[in-house]
Amino acid sequence: MMIVYRNLLRLYPAEYREQFGEEMAAVLLDARAENTNKKWIARGRFHFREARGLIAGALREHLRVLTYAHVGLSLSTGRFAMRNGFRFPKSTAILMTIILAGVIVAIRKGEAIAASLPNVSQPIAPIHSAPSYLLPGVIAGFIFFYAAGLTGWAILFALRRSGIHRLADLSEK
Amino acid sequence: MESLPLTEPVLLILLSLADQPRHGYSILKDIEQVSEGRVVLSTGTLYGALRRLLEDKWIERFEDADTSRGKQSYRLTAHGRRNLRFEVARMKKLTRVASLRVARES
Repeated sequence: MMIVYRNLLRLYPAEYREQFGEEMAAVLLDARAENTNKKWIARGRFHFREARGLIAGALREHLRVLTYAHVGLSLSTGRFAMRNGFRFPKSTAILMTIILAGVIVAIRKGEAIAASLPNVSQPIAPIHSAPSYLLPGVIAGFIFFYAAGLTGWAILFALRRSGIHRLADLSEK
Repeated sequence: MESLPLTEPVLLILLSLADQPRHGYSILKDIEQVSEGRVVLSTGTLYGALRRLLEDKWIERFEDADTSRGKQSYRLTAHGRRNLRFEVARMKKLTRVASLRVARES
């Protein structure tokens, strides 16, 4: 079972493994030794808890590395806490979404005002309103650039040339 | 205090380190004992919390006899101890109010 645990420890980011990997393996070894003589249900519960903890921990640490988010020690109070480590890309994505929402609201308002105006020019020269492609265009553009950015980042990440890897390389040197 | 209230694992880890420095496995066992078996932390959860506590300088590594046997010990910093005191005071206040209200109900 220690082989499984050691493989699960490999799921953690390299920096974290370097800092805590051996210690965690030693703790797992002690905990396993203590559980060896217990009933199979207790042993099963122990192995399940440890495996789940390692997988969840690895995911949490990767998320932290990717988002640079600082996971606090406190219970969530529902307040928006602006902290030093909370910068990019989470905050940028939120700002972009707010700006997009603002643009959509402004377009809708403009269309509503245009529709509410009396059609005074009809007796002189009938105007045929062209179908509006602005809103779908803005949304399509947003999705396209977002997807392009994600794809580019994914390629860099796969090639181990993303900012995270470069920073890790620098810190190793 | 910005970081209060604490999550239960973090509070129990700090309480475990309040009386003496401990290494990882000793913290796990102490938490199990203090919570009368109700809280059993996994190694992943423990070290996730220890990493954050180290980063926030609430705890620090401590060199002792266990360190030479490959077991790293941790102890509270002055900052961590102060925050733990704040949390305990906050909980006391809350418990007092809760006790009064529950007594009034019955």
